[in-house]
Amino acid sequence: METRGIGFRLAVHGLGSAVLAFLILPIFAVVPASFNHGTFIRIPPERWSLRWYGRFFADSEWLSSLATSLEVAAIATVLSVAIGTAAALGLARLGGQLRAALTGLIVAPMIVPVIVTAVSLYYVGRYWGLTGTLLGLAVAHVLMCLPFVVLNVGVSLRSLDPSWLRAAEGLGASPVRVFLTVTLPTILPGLFGGAVFSLITSFDEVVMSIFLAGVGAKTLPVKMWETVRLEFSPVLSVASCLLIVLTVALFALFRLASRREAS
Amino acid sequence: MTGSGQTIAFRGVARDFGAVKALLATDLDIMAGEFLTLLGPSGSGKTTLLNIAAGYLAPSAGRVLIGARDVTDLPPRRRNIGMVFQNYALFPHMSVFDNVAYGLRARGVPRADLERRVEAALGMVRLGGYGARGIRQLSGGQQQRVALARALVIEPDVLLMDEPLGALDRQLRQHVQLEVRRLHRQHRRTTIYVTHDQEEALVMSDRIAVMREGRLEQIGDAETLYRRPDNAFVAGFLGESNLLRGVVTAVDGVRARLRVDGMAGEIAGAAAAGLVAGTPGAALVRPESVRVSPAGRFEARLVERVYLGELVALRLALGNGQAVVCRRFARDGAPDGDRLAIDWDPGDVRILPDANSAGTTSNRTEEET
Repeated sequence: METRGIGFRLAVHGLGSAVLAFLILPIFAVVPASFNHGTFIRIPPERWSLRWYGRFFADSEWLSSLATSLEVAAIATVLSVAIGTAAALGLARLGGQLRAALTGLIVAPMIVPVIVTAVSLYYVGRYWGLTGTLLGLAVAHVLMCLPFVVLNVGVSLRSLDPSWLRAAEGLGASPVRVFLTVTLPTILPGLFGGAVFSLITSFDEVVMSIFLAGVGAKTLPVKMWETVRLEFSPVLSVASCLLIVLTVALFALFRLASRREAS
Repeated sequence: MTGSGQTIAFRGVARDFGAVKALLATDLDIMAGEFLTLLGPSGSGKTTLLNIAAGYLAPSAGRVLIGARDVTDLPPRRRNIGMVFQNYALFPHMSVFDNVAYGLRARGVPRADLERRVEAALGMVRLGGYGARGIRQLSGGQQQRVALARALVIEPDVLLMDEPLGALDRQLRQHVQLEVRRLHRQHRRTTIYVTHDQEEALVMSDRIAVMREGRLEQIGDAETLYRRPDNAFVAGFLGESNLLRGVVTAVDGVRARLRVDGMAGEIAGAAAAGLVAGTPGAALVRPESVRVSPAGRFEARLVERVYLGELVALRLALGNGQAVVCRRFARDGAPDGDRLAIDWDPGDVRILPDANSAGTTSNRTEEET
């Protein structure tokens, strides 16, 4: 870099900043918008107010969708962590090609267009009577969350020295004890990371949710999508803000925890 | 810490990995309280045998008995063994205390008893007061001693050690060797120790089993192996040796004769067991048995003189190019000139069978490290 001219550096930094701005600026539009007093969104607001926050928290439909989102995210995360950890442990024992193939299968939902997965799940969900239920939606979200857990735990597992397991077993520990005292503490950072990404993914997910939510499992993003088709109310920017705050808070928590782990 | 451990016996134990025979059918009996070293180059089957003793590896054939108990089908956790690994295998997320306490907790030892025993074990390896430390705060030698305490605190029937000093530097290694020996003298716990380092084997063992290519070549105490090796491989692997390779010409009970190309006359010496006239053999002459003397029968050229402190090693070449090392006290002074006459006492020569002469050299240990 040092050998390059100043013009080149300016161009690189300029382009980089432009891309970052493109990614971040919508947030700076949504946040002030939620503090508008008027019915029409103006940025910056002519008059600042918490009026629409009051409206959001007074509306049982918005509140219940928020609660649904939290519930679905919690169920999806617990399921993903349990299944994903077991899968990562199993994969670590497999040989090269089989492991690569199975990892590909687990990661596939990240690559297959979500709409395709959503339509397929809609058919299956109808058949099993799972559409419009919390559990059905949570199970669908597991598909999207699982790769994060499997990959994160997989990375943690690489720091697990197999001789620790042999030592623990030789010292008389049962397989369960070996898992709880040696394996689990070692993979905990990956497990926690996977859980945070699962929560964020499930909380954000909208495409599959629209297909599967029905009336029984209307999450916050689904409620937002429905609302925006009828009216463009500043309550929407309030909901967006809440999504942003929760996501950022979870991510910050994860960063803090992994920094403590590293030190 | 009173129990001295159990006997351990291998009966026809063998292990294949696919087409590779890592361990041929092996019979081996280790007495209660004995310190036995499995010595051999890598690939000799010594670690395979150790892992079969621990239960980490199932034998393809044969039985393993600890005391009167057939443990062949028991998993490691039911064998009551103490294992010390080459890389220590300490749990990095636990304190020194928790590492040592691990085996006791797995056995459900009550808390008060547990604390007393862990402290005693740490005191035994001279790490009293280190319980609260983290593993990463310890030096390599200290970690090795924690691993030793962790294996001993459960009072195992057999202590198994897999090249436990390999990662330490030379000075520390000698220190820990003496420490291991002291602990064994005190507690007389049955121990199987795996190494490719002959010095470790000599310092610590009651008996040494020399292994090669999945086979036990010879088993005996250090002096027996050094003075009366059964074959050229054992002679080359244990201690420095001059092996003059040739053909056995005559075997007469306990004496034998050997002809070496380019050397006048024949070399006489004590015959090793199983020696057959007309087959390849090697005359073993230890460097300390080679004398420089004006009346010596063999002419040699001085190639190099290596000062070793109290000893001097003379690297010599005989007329036929055969290298011979002579070791003698430095105080005896340097020989004059580079043409010498050397000799040895026929009583110090041993004629050995030399089945695969191509594969054996006198410095196998150096090839390993």
